[in-house]
Amino acid sequence: MKHRFEIEALRRRIAPQERLTPNARPALGLGAEALDAALPAHGLKTGALHEILPATHGDFAAGAGFGICFLARLLRQRPGPILWAVPAHLANGEGALYPPGLAALGLDPNRLIRIEVRKPIDILWALEEGLSHAPLAAVAGILPDSARAYDFAASRRLALRAARHGVTALILRGRQASAEGTAAETRWSVASLPAAPASPSQSSGQSSGQSSYSGAPRWRLALLKSRQGMSRRFSSGWDVEWDHDTLSFRLPAPLADRTPAGATTGATPWPHEAGRASSRLPPEWAEAS
Amino acid sequence: MLVTTTDNGQRITALNQAAGALGFSPGMALADARAIHPALQVAHADLQGDERALIRLALWCQCFSPLTRPDFPDGVSLDIAGCAHLFGGESALMEMLASKLGRFGLTARLALAPTIGGAWALARHAPDDRLAVTRSALAGHMAPLPVCALRLEEGTVKALEKLGLKRVGDLIGKPRAPLASRFGPLALRRLDEALGHEEESFRPLNPPHLHAAQCRFAEPIVTQEAIGIAIGRLTRDLCALLEKAGKGVRRVELRLFRVDGWFEALPLATSTPTRDAAHLARLLGERLDRIEDRAGFGFEAASLTALSVETLAMRQEDLGDDAMTMRDGDLAPLLDRLVNRFGARNVTRAEPHASFLPERAARAVSVLKPAQSHDWQAHARCIQDGAAFARPLFLFAVPEPVTTLAGVPDGPPTRFEWRRVAHLVTRAEGPERIAPEWWRAPLGASRKTRDYFRIEDEAGRRFWLFRDGLYERDEETPRWFIHGVFA
Repeated sequence: MKHRFEIEALRRRIAPQERLTPNARPALGLGAEALDAALPAHGLKTGALHEILPATHGDFAAGAGFGICFLARLLRQRPGPILWAVPAHLANGEGALYPPGLAALGLDPNRLIRIEVRKPIDILWALEEGLSHAPLAAVAGILPDSARAYDFAASRRLALRAARHGVTALILRGRQASAEGTAAETRWSVASLPAAPASPSQSSGQSSGQSSYSGAPRWRLALLKSRQGMSRRFSSGWDVEWDHDTLSFRLPAPLADRTPAGATTGATPWPHEAGRASSRLPPEWAEAS
Repeated sequence: MLVTTTDNGQRITALNQAAGALGFSPGMALADARAIHPALQVAHADLQGDERALIRLALWCQCFSPLTRPDFPDGVSLDIAGCAHLFGGESALMEMLASKLGRFGLTARLALAPTIGGAWALARHAPDDRLAVTRSALAGHMAPLPVCALRLEEGTVKALEKLGLKRVGDLIGKPRAPLASRFGPLALRRLDEALGHEEESFRPLNPPHLHAAQCRFAEPIVTQEAIGIAIGRLTRDLCALLEKAGKGVRRVELRLFRVDGWFEALPLATSTPTRDAAHLARLLGERLDRIEDRAGFGFEAASLTALSVETLAMRQEDLGDDAMTMRDGDLAPLLDRLVNRFGARNVTRAEPHASFLPERAARAVSVLKPAQSHDWQAHARCIQDGAAFARPLFLFAVPEPVTTLAGVPDGPPTRFEWRRVAHLVTRAEGPERIAPEWWRAPLGASRKTRDYFRIEDEAGRRFWLFRDGLYERDEETPRWFIHGVFA
């Protein structure tokens, strides 16, 4: 016990020099009790830099989705908008954030300011600029694999600014970039997982052996790095599901992937018969009628 | 010697002093002139280029007065009312203007008169090339000038000369009614305007702006630091003016006047009205990246003009620390800096649009427009029938074609290939049928009905695919596209 007190005292002494006081800002839990308990800070710290890596090349959207969901959770607590900076070539290649899709996940598109830049170095500039403005809730940036400018020094600058003003920074990086050391608080790997099947009342009759899904996204998370130490319980990764109503992550039930027996009854939100598929009226007409 | 081609052959339009000394004059046929002096150097006149140069000169002259205009084809007018004292009086101003124009290599004739017509006439026809005339002496100076000094049409001038009325003085004091009936009301009005009996309004090149700050430098400045200091002074002056008027600025323009008769303009827009001098100075300073390359021989004057202002109430300075003052307006400095660096089109908010077509259901608006709160949940409910997660997180601006293998013709595909990667479809949901907006003119987009499917592959990745067209309606096999990716 004596050693621990000494270490605590020493930490307090170097904290002002480090200017990253470990517990200055509250951590934001992910929502699932078991998950937060396994995290060193009982969540992701606000006012800190976090990195998200897609597990494979095709998991870019999953990584971004996890980041968006975390930000949606953050926005419930903190006022102010989010700055979302993307390189223009990536916006063409991976698609642009789609506001109705954001709203579906629970993030209010009114509170998102999007920046499109030409060079990766401009992303860092924009993030740094945003981090020194306390009225912002968070900044997020997508860095392509080729972004050489993002090294330890650059990440440290971001982390320091984030700590000073309490604005959380999120960086979505390319898959190949994991080897370099950065000053990020945590680094996550995100992989897609098949979604849970629809509840019996929602699922529709299926053809050709394909089953329906409810659409709540699921991911397999792995914590690759944590400045406050890794929890042994977390190293193998967790399967989480996003609940857009409560804006929280939850751990899906282990047997949730079985199609329930009574799946063919009930209303069908997506009529499959071609004859019943209704053409949609434009909104102007819908209002008029 | 410059010539233009007219119906009657080539005519001389302008000539230099040497040619003038040989007895040539504008309007002469080139053939006649060549006959007299075969060694003439002749070039074609560039009339449009002359006009452009004159406008440029008029703009440059704005460093003396905000009200200037070009008088085609050969002059520039400046309204210097209230400006002369800034340069040490009227004669000093004329002296300075003449020496600057002389340095450009221009031979200028200057005249200063209480009326526009008077100045116009004296600058072109007075015996002196520099002349300042007071109101009482104006008529005396005007009298010996030829009638063409009155800005009249050529026909009227010819008719007056035929009657022996060759000088302006011949018209002064003549009975007005016969003159008006013979030559029209314009001739008399021009005479009255020139003599100051009738008001004439000055139409400047740019409308004047109420809020502007200028400064002149003792020596031309080149370096970015020096320009930065000047910007600091100008923004302070301008913001003091705005403070007095209770206004904030939305658009400003910084003009740096070069010694060689041109200026660099740096326009700037802000997201909210502001009169924060430090903020404006910082924004302008960030625009000075390569200004030194464009400085030429240096800048000798600068002006900062508020192009658009809005009322801005007095505000108490911040008392609390940053956590206490989280107002939306506090975002403005950040947005201004981002817009300043990346351009107004690249810093955007989203705005819903009433359309079922996914690519039209949302659009980006610049943050320079005032922020509005939109009900996205209602919009989403409207466009996707209340289904959760019916729209992807990422949408492609242009749908990308995929090759598919469908089990049944109008069902979802069983496998598809996108960007050379094959995906096995494990789950699919749909179709969601979206009809084209036939009332809009086609803008290169497909006009077919689309059937959208939400697709999940064996790795759990989710895609939004659609079939472009229907099997029963279209002759050829419909193609498949991917339009988005789910989280």
